[in-house]
Amino acid sequence: MATADFSRDLEPQRGYLLRVARLQLRDEALAEDVVQETLLAALAGSGFSGKSSLRTWLTGILKHKIVDAIRKKQREPTVASAFGDIESEMDIEDFDAMFNERGGWDPKPADWGNPEEALNQRQFLDVMDLCLEKLPPNTARVFMMREVMELETDEICKELTINANNLWVILYRARMALRQCLEQTWFARKD
Amino acid sequence: MIRKAIGHIISCKDASRLVSRREEATLSAWQRLVLRLHLSVCAACSRFERQVAFLRNAMQKYRQ
Repeated sequence: MATADFSRDLEPQRGYLLRVARLQLRDEALAEDVVQETLLAALAGSGFSGKSSLRTWLTGILKHKIVDAIRKKQREPTVASAFGDIESEMDIEDFDAMFNERGGWDPKPADWGNPEEALNQRQFLDVMDLCLEKLPPNTARVFMMREVMELETDEICKELTINANNLWVILYRARMALRQCLEQTWFARKD
Repeated sequence: MIRKAIGHIISCKDASRLVSRREEATLSAWQRLVLRLHLSVCAACSRFERQVAFLRNAMQKYRQ
C-alpha cells in the first residue's frame, strides 16, 4: 500500500478518533495529541491487514494511546482532578429517582419499536454523540472504555484504581442515563 | 395474581441493576432465576433489557 494513498484513507477517520479521545480524556489538547500519535503510529506501522475495518484497527491503536495518557495523568494529581470527582459518579442512589418508592419504573421505559433501523441514520449517531457528551465525565470515560475500546472490566478497574463494584455502578448509571437521553431525544419523537 | 407475586420477588429497580451487571459479570444461579422470573412477567424491564442490548450494538456501530 502506497503511503500517500494510506494517509488519504486515514484522514477521514480523524474526526471519529478525536470524538472518542475527547469523550475519554475531556482535554482538548491531550485528545489532539493522542490522535496525532495514533495516526503517526498507523502510518509507521504495518499492522493493518485489511481483515478488520480501518476504523476498528485504528481504535485498537487509540486504545493504547489513551490508556498511556490516563496513566501519565494519574501521576500528576493536579491534572487528574480535571476529570472531576469520580467518587460522586459512583453513587447508585442517584438513579432511584427513576423508580417509585416500591422500586417500580417511573416513568416506564417506552417501546422503541425496531431501534436497529436508527443505526443506519447519520442523525441518530449525532444524537448518540450528544447523549454521550451529556454524561458526567468519568461515566462517559468508563462507558467508552468498556463499549468502544472493549477493555475488560479488570483492566478498567486497574487503570482508574476503582473496584469492580464501583465499575458496575458507573456502567449502570451510564446505561440508565443514555437510554433516557435516547428515549427523550430520538425514540419519543415517533409518538 | 400469580404474575404480580412473581413480579414482586425483586423490584424493577433491582432487576434493572441485574440486567446491567450481567453485561460485565456472570450472575449467581439465584440472581439468574429471580431475574428470569421477573422478566417473564414485566414488560417494562423486558424493554430495558432490549434497550441495554441495543446500546451495545449502537456502540459497535459507532466504532465502525
